[in-house]
Amino acid sequence: MVKALDDVSFSIEKGEFVLIVGSSGSGKSTLLNMIGLLDRPTNGKVFIDGTDTSNLSDNQISTFRNKKLGFIFQFSNLLTDLTVLENVLLPREIAGTTESAEKNARELLKAVGLENQINKRANKISGGQAQRAAIARGLINNPSIVLADEPTGNLDSVTSKIIVDLMKSMAKELNQTFIIVTHDQQHFGEADRVITIKDGKASEGNQPSELEVLV
Amino acid sequence: MEYRLRLAKRMLFNKKGSLIGAVLAVTIGILVIHVNFVIFQGLFDAIVRDISNYRNGNVLITDEEDYIDKSDQALVSWFERIPYVEAATPRLSSSASINMTKFGTLHEKTRIPIVGVDPFRDIQASTVHETVTDGQYVFAKNSIVLGSNVARDLGGVEVGDSLKLKIVDRYGQDQIRRFVVTGIAQSPGGQGFDYSVVVHIDTLRDLMNRKGESGSIMVKLNDPTKANDVKNFFLAAFPNDDFIAETIEESAEEQLAGFRSGIAMINMIGYFGMMSSAFAIVTIQMMLVNGKTREIGVMRSIGATRKDILVIFIFQGMIIGAIGAGVGTAAGLGYTFYAKETKMSFNNSLPLEVSYNWEKIIQTAVLSFMLAIIASLYPSYRATKLLPVEAMRTV
Repeated sequence: MVKALDDVSFSIEKGEFVLIVGSSGSGKSTLLNMIGLLDRPTNGKVFIDGTDTSNLSDNQISTFRNKKLGFIFQFSNLLTDLTVLENVLLPREIAGTTESAEKNARELLKAVGLENQINKRANKISGGQAQRAAIARGLINNPSIVLADEPTGNLDSVTSKIIVDLMKSMAKELNQTFIIVTHDQQHFGEADRVITIKDGKASEGNQPSELEVLV
Repeated sequence: MEYRLRLAKRMLFNKKGSLIGAVLAVTIGILVIHVNFVIFQGLFDAIVRDISNYRNGNVLITDEEDYIDKSDQALVSWFERIPYVEAATPRLSSSASINMTKFGTLHEKTRIPIVGVDPFRDIQASTVHETVTDGQYVFAKNSIVLGSNVARDLGGVEVGDSLKLKIVDRYGQDQIRRFVVTGIAQSPGGQGFDYSVVVHIDTLRDLMNRKGESGSIMVKLNDPTKANDVKNFFLAAFPNDDFIAETIEESAEEQLAGFRSGIAMINMIGYFGMMSSAFAIVTIQMMLVNGKTREIGVMRSIGATRKDILVIFIFQGMIIGAIGAGVGTAAGLGYTFYAKETKMSFNNSLPLEVSYNWEKIIQTAVLSFMLAIIASLYPSYRATKLLPVEAMRTV
């Protein structure tokens, strides 16, 4: 049996901006999926806000994902049948907490610079705009942790920088935990922590130079 | 609008090909039921209508002893006092041998059913006189109207020809009389007197030696829904006689029973057709689910539960069902309207008796709507089984 992750153990504090780096196929996305409760470990546990998530039912996991976690994917993954505003509102509608949701969504879209695109269909905006909308969607429920899987992986370098800066400023402004998986650490510059995954094993260092040694 | 309904609607309406395909499947299912109903129920009702108009009326009175010996005048007067009754008329039936002569030589000999009518009452209680397409009804006592098939079997009898009719009377004696053909009767569908001959009832009574007797009293109502009431009034009014009173459904049961089971079978085929449209919906919705795998994964990852996904795709089934039921019912009603207005018939046979059976129309629409929902259950269930991570890998 192939082990995607083995003997991985670490904790992340509230408000930290954490990068998970590693080469393609190293297991970093699998790790993120486990933190995001999209995948269950065959062995071991994930604790979020003190909750042992391994005991949660499927419905509880969905609620947990909705309320505690925000997701930003490589391909934005907006729903193309909805407008930008509707996409951002969706997690709130799923949660059933629609009071002042539209106001919050408009504020977030303004913060990510999409106030003029809110009524456009999600497939009618550029990749960079879609990724910014995805960030707004990831933040609409004020989650404890924002998880981003290669959020700049599909963008050109200029747009990537805009997205990285935006995530950093949001993290600072909202004091939210960001866990970002990337194969290209250089794009993100400084982070509070960097966790490196290699062959399913995690190692940790604060500086890129140390990581480079470890890798 | 509830977000799940909005999503269901958008996903469906943005896949117009699938939507049209699914709606067409429901529409065709409903249309098949409507067309079946118009044709086969229309044919059945047309036969009932013609049997009622030509032969049995809305209520038919007979006697256990085969012949009614009470005065037909008295019975007809009794009936015509009831407000629901439009007219009543006596009839007498038997069978006869016919010798057809032309220019003094015997042309043809055959045995046929013979019906005696009171022409002046009969034209009020029955429309069989309208089937006399050539000549006129039996207003004279020596006149005879031949059914078109009898006329043809006799070698092409025409109005003005004469023929000899032999009947065995109640005492077993042969009674022979000569008649002049005054009309040829032909009804579309052959439910009239196409296979019989018609004479004046008094003449037939003479021939049968049954003065003042009748075989039946045919009662026509101005409100056919009151047939049971009239029947019950009559039986209550004549408790000591051996009368049999039957509504058209009862009196024609023997003729209609086979047809009724045929209609049930056709309806069943129609409902099977509707069920096959449900399979089409399953296929189309499976395609929709497959096309939205990535979106399902995204929704699950941002917190949608399996139930939310289930509800979205069931909503899609409901939308398909609602639109399909609406379009199908509209198309069915359009066809029914066309059939009714054009008095649709096939090969110049009897015109269908087309009616709007609202109970059946609503039942069909509701059934197809329900079937669309049921058909959406499996694809919806499949959608809930998608794992978010795997679903999002789908391009």
